[in-house]
Amino acid sequence: MTRRDTRGRSSWRTAFGALLAILTLAAAAALTGCASSGDAMPRCTDPLRLAIVAQSVPSASYLPCIRDLPPGWTTSDFAPAQDGTRFLLISDRSPAEPVVVELATACRFRFSGASPSPARAPGILSYIRLDSIRPRFAGRLYDVFPGGCVTYSFDFGSGSQIELMEQFERAVGLYPRQQLRLVLKQELGVELNP
Amino acid sequence: MTTLPTPRPGHEGSEVPSLIAASLRGRRRRPSGEPPPLPRHINYSIRWYLLLAAVAAALLAGMSVPAVLGVITRGDLAVLRGIATVRTAWLTHVMLDVNAALTSQWTVRLFMLGIIAVLVAFRRFQHLAAYLVIVLAAVLLLSAVTPDIGRMRPAGIGILGPWQGYSQPSRPVAALALALVGALYTLVPAGRWRNRGKWAAAIIVTALCAARLYLAVDHPTDQLTALIIAWPLAVVAFWLAVPNEVFPISYRGGRKAHLDIGGRRGAAIVTALDHQLGLAVADVKPFGLEASAGSTPLRLAVRGPDGTETALFGKLYALCHLRSDRWYKRVRAVIYGRLEDEKPFSTVRRLVEYEDHLLRLMRDAGLPTPRPYGFAEMTPEREYLIVMEFFEGSQEIRNARVDDRVIDDALRVVRRMWDAGIAHRDIKPSNILVRDGRVLLIDVAFAAVRPTPWRQAVDLANMMLTLALANTPEHVYERALNLFAADDVAEAFAACRSITVPSQLRSLIRADGRDLIGCFRRLAPARRSVPVQLWDIRRVAITAGLLVMIAAAVTLIGLFQGVVGLL
Repeated sequence: MTRRDTRGRSSWRTAFGALLAILTLAAAAALTGCASSGDAMPRCTDPLRLAIVAQSVPSASYLPCIRDLPPGWTTSDFAPAQDGTRFLLISDRSPAEPVVVELATACRFRFSGASPSPARAPGILSYIRLDSIRPRFAGRLYDVFPGGCVTYSFDFGSGSQIELMEQFERAVGLYPRQQLRLVLKQELGVELNP
Repeated sequence: MTTLPTPRPGHEGSEVPSLIAASLRGRRRRPSGEPPPLPRHINYSIRWYLLLAAVAAALLAGMSVPAVLGVITRGDLAVLRGIATVRTAWLTHVMLDVNAALTSQWTVRLFMLGIIAVLVAFRRFQHLAAYLVIVLAAVLLLSAVTPDIGRMRPAGIGILGPWQGYSQPSRPVAALALALVGALYTLVPAGRWRNRGKWAAAIIVTALCAARLYLAVDHPTDQLTALIIAWPLAVVAFWLAVPNEVFPISYRGGRKAHLDIGGRRGAAIVTALDHQLGLAVADVKPFGLEASAGSTPLRLAVRGPDGTETALFGKLYALCHLRSDRWYKRVRAVIYGRLEDEKPFSTVRRLVEYEDHLLRLMRDAGLPTPRPYGFAEMTPEREYLIVMEFFEGSQEIRNARVDDRVIDDALRVVRRMWDAGIAHRDIKPSNILVRDGRVLLIDVAFAAVRPTPWRQAVDLANMMLTLALANTPEHVYERALNLFAADDVAEAFAACRSITVPSQLRSLIRADGRDLIGCFRRLAPARRSVPVQLWDIRRVAITAGLLVMIAAAVTLIGLFQGVVGLL
């Protein structure tokens, strides 16, 4: 019997071991939440990730993004789809009642009874409609712009509502679609439709 | 306790002369670096799968760099634009239907839950655990990768189908591939059926990929990475967790512990016995599979130096047997408590070494057990073959004529074990053979040296019960008093419980209809029963561990339900 060379087998074993270690680490990272999946909603400084939001409402001239997340606030359940984008803004002071942010082609909820609010960006009309002031401070805030509408549904306990309202309004920014088109063209060489 | 002295020389158990002299000529030391007779098999498809995994890792790493992502995206879009040129109304309708049918949450969930139900129904718990863990790990891996890349859907082309979330990797493609691979590697027997299943699965996945590319819902590279994570990596994980050599899938019935002895393993047996034990094997056949669950028993035809063939008995031990031995011992420890030494073996080598040692010890003690021929290494630490004498011409005691000579011989075997400080621990008809009116004892793998007095007493009770099945308890008791004191017999049946009687013996007693245990207790002097249910910290810990494992399994299934929703 001839002596067989086992070097090839060893190199495979090494490669296999390395791959297994990477997989284990990735799975462990995912399990322990070390991966960045916890902050899935794109920031305004990361336009490449924001492109999916633009695709969810192709007509929207502005796109919601995370501008400045105050301490104690997190985002979750980021769900862009072909008919709009939805995500949650959660404050540690009101964890059971997150602010639901939705981008759609038009405001989906009853708009009657809403009163104008200071515009959050040029070319945008903002409205607020309060359903309740006490014991809960609940209602909706609308950002209306050409081709789209962002709805913020909030429901805070009385007492801290003013600060929480200010914080979440500051947290969500509106990114111009035109600017995103330029960035995508420049960085990836692709045209954002339409 | 009163015991009778050891019988006079010449009255011990049967002696068995050696049958074949192993030759030193064929023996050969395996040099360092040379593979063992049955090297751990990594087939070519596994190598390709690993290569593909490296491709996926490179793609994913590249996509985190905008310049590379731009190049990849432009390439993807060129392919999609080419596909878009063949779009027609009827084809779009067909592709939408294919996409809807194969990406439905209900399709994938019902399929995955169906796999779990079948695995539970067939009690294939190793496959079930592997399936749950691998699917969970793959889903979590996909969930971790997706937001890290945050890739948009195809741009500049009309997207015709529904979509949700980031594009890379394609979750619907990964979910379907994972479900199909899971079914193939946990439900379908390896070989022809699995190969056919792979083709069928490949056709289904290809149909989904084609539909989604046509609809411009995914980029080609989104599907490529999804497929690599959900197919090759899952296959490698199944290969590692439930290798077919250790956990074969079969629907033919019979014991699941038995290994296939054809092909590479058959050739390896011949080589291993030739090189390591100097035995020239002419033929290998499975033998007595129905009576064995802890190993794969074999009948080996060995050619002697003069050309004559002699039969030897072999037992093939692999990791699956080690695992089943561990479970068997844990369950016994829970049932019996601290009266039993039920420490599991850490490796297959230790398990085989122990049996080989016991065979030699018993022969040295003059017990009529098979002559040991040593054991051969098939795959280091994973698979070994122990070889011993084959009792040609013998028959199981329940098929033999049990006269006074056989009764005395059988009782003398127990007497000799007591004197040698050994307990067999599995005395039952299938382990007691008779040849020419002499008793032979087999299957010493569970034997213990310096056992508890309780365990020795149980051996006597089980032997007397076995003999009483073919005779009367009164006569067996009378013969036993020639070798044992009445108090010994009283102790044996005070220790005897239904649970201490091996299942084969228990079912034969039940079929016999006589109250044999009660009868022996009435014949022997009165004695308080020896308690069995004794608790200690180890037993409590093992019991708690088993309960925790059951709870973990239930949690895993619950977690699985939740996480599969991420797909």
